[in-house]
Amino acid sequence: IFEKDSTVNCTAEVLYHLGNKNAAPDVQFTIEGELKNTDEADNLFYNRIKSLKNELVAENIPDSYGNVPPEMEPIRALAWAASGYVIWKNSNENTKYQLAQIKHVKQVKRSDEYLEFDYMILLHENVSQEIIPWQMTVLWHPQHGIEVTQNSRQPKHV
Amino acid sequence: MSPGDYIGALSMPFRAEARPHPLTMKFPLVFFAALVVGTLGEQLFVGDQVLRITASNEKQIALLRALGEREDLQLDFWRDPTKPGHPSDLRVPFPSLQAVKIFLESHGIPYSIMIKDVQQLLDEEKKIMLLSKEQERSTSTFDFASYHTLDEIYSWLDTLVANHPGLVSKIQIGESYEKRPLYVLKFSTGGSNRPAIWLDTGIHSREWVTQATGVWTANKLAEDYGRDPSITAILDSMDIFFEIVTNPDGYAFTHSSNRLWRKTRSINAGSSCIGVDPNRNWDAGFGGSGSSSSPCSETYRGPYAHSESEVKSIVDFILGHGNVKALISIHSYSQMLMFPYGYKSEPAPDFQELNELAEKAVNDLAAVYGTKYTYGSIIDTIYVASGTTVDWAYENGVKYSYTFELRDTGRYGFLLPSSQIIPTATETWPALLDIMLHVQQHPY
Repeated sequence: IFEKDSTVNCTAEVLYHLGNKNAAPDVQFTIEGELKNTDEADNLFYNRIKSLKNELVAENIPDSYGNVPPEMEPIRALAWAASGYVIWKNSNENTKYQLAQIKHVKQVKRSDEYLEFDYMILLHENVSQEIIPWQMTVLWHPQHGIEVTQNSRQPKHV
Repeated sequence: MSPGDYIGALSMPFRAEARPHPLTMKFPLVFFAALVVGTLGEQLFVGDQVLRITASNEKQIALLRALGEREDLQLDFWRDPTKPGHPSDLRVPFPSLQAVKIFLESHGIPYSIMIKDVQQLLDEEKKIMLLSKEQERSTSTFDFASYHTLDEIYSWLDTLVANHPGLVSKIQIGESYEKRPLYVLKFSTGGSNRPAIWLDTGIHSREWVTQATGVWTANKLAEDYGRDPSITAILDSMDIFFEIVTNPDGYAFTHSSNRLWRKTRSINAGSSCIGVDPNRNWDAGFGGSGSSSSPCSETYRGPYAHSESEVKSIVDFILGHGNVKALISIHSYSQMLMFPYGYKSEPAPDFQELNELAEKAVNDLAAVYGTKYTYGSIIDTIYVASGTTVDWAYENGVKYSYTFELRDTGRYGFLLPSSQIIPTATETWPALLDIMLHVQQHPY
């Protein structure tokens, strides 16, 4: 589990359904130790976004040179977590997905306490080497966690 | 006042002035040429001074203008007197200095010495310009810690050759689809057709850390010859051929249009999709299940083996050379060191030796920063891949055929931050050295 100053081991048992290729694999995991408490950073980010006058919009995270502006790190972390869900749902024993880049992200204003982001991400599939655009709508709240409410594969640009 | 003060004063734009001045940053070519001619022969401006004169009324303005008309004084206004209170700048040749100063003082026209010796300043500026040109030409000031454009890398190749003329030369082995030259650096200390090692980076254009590592490594090879005993031993008996931008069309495209472009940029007949995977286009297991028949696929094998000029040029070079003993093809990402086969699961005849050497290399790589690599045959380590560079090389007499997948394991993937270029190159170096040394010590 990636984190600059703390590494936690995680073991997982992944069972691919050989019969039904469209089913997501079964995953049982065990985290060895404890995850760092991120309440403070979460709340800081939450309040920062909530107080923005205009909806957040960003693109190309990281950029061509691998740069991520510090204020975009939480946006990236959110995408990383959300893409994990999308990847899980679309994995089989012949795929290996990684989040390659956030092409575009747009905040969607909500009347409730949740933050909503509309992401267009690029997934890199390591076996076919394809770069697959994928749309995902992500809901997040510091106490209630993350939810991917919508996601769909997009056509590749020629 | 120090030269620095003078220069600062001179960089001020003299916008009111139409006349060219020798000491502003951009000066007309003709004037500069005259200046150069002048400084080559006699020294034109020794002892000349530039005075800043501020006339306090119209009468003084008139006096100054009259002074300027005196041909015998050879005065040169850099900034003409216009209005009272506005400074004008006047270059006074050394022989006229006394006369001018007496004139100004006797009429009560205030002035100050802006430049005490024009020639001194010119000499200083020339020195600075030469130094800056030298810096550009020095390979060690090229920024290895950033990603460069194709033009920048191609220009740097020439710099490297210029700086190590006895050791490095540049050869062209062919042209890309879009007619860009395919350049290979040759490292050689002499001999005739010595056993050789082939290195390539950037065959997949989006793998930017590889071209960047290539530049760093080429520089390291040149710098360390004669200093590092291993490199010296290797280059004293073998040649190294290094193609840094193996897919220049793709590389240019990653800068101009699509950062994640992988393939060549060749047009595919009957399809709107462009490009062939240059690492599926080699004639070893060509057409197998580890490649695609669809032009739109990232692993499209091409219409036939060696259809891509980027591939054919290397094939022709290696076969023509006839004495290539090792080939190392560098990719990213995944952190792996692999050897044949990719197209079949049957172990290569030299499996044991290749495997042991790979293990040593990844251990020495890990020793630098702790970066973990996996290793083994391509098919065991990554997946089935047909028509790859290393499989072709192995089946054409190159026993020591390896492929690297550099950093990272997916956090940044292809978009590796430039801050990781030098660490990546630095840790890969001992692994490369292990392989090259082994080749040198095990002739066949």
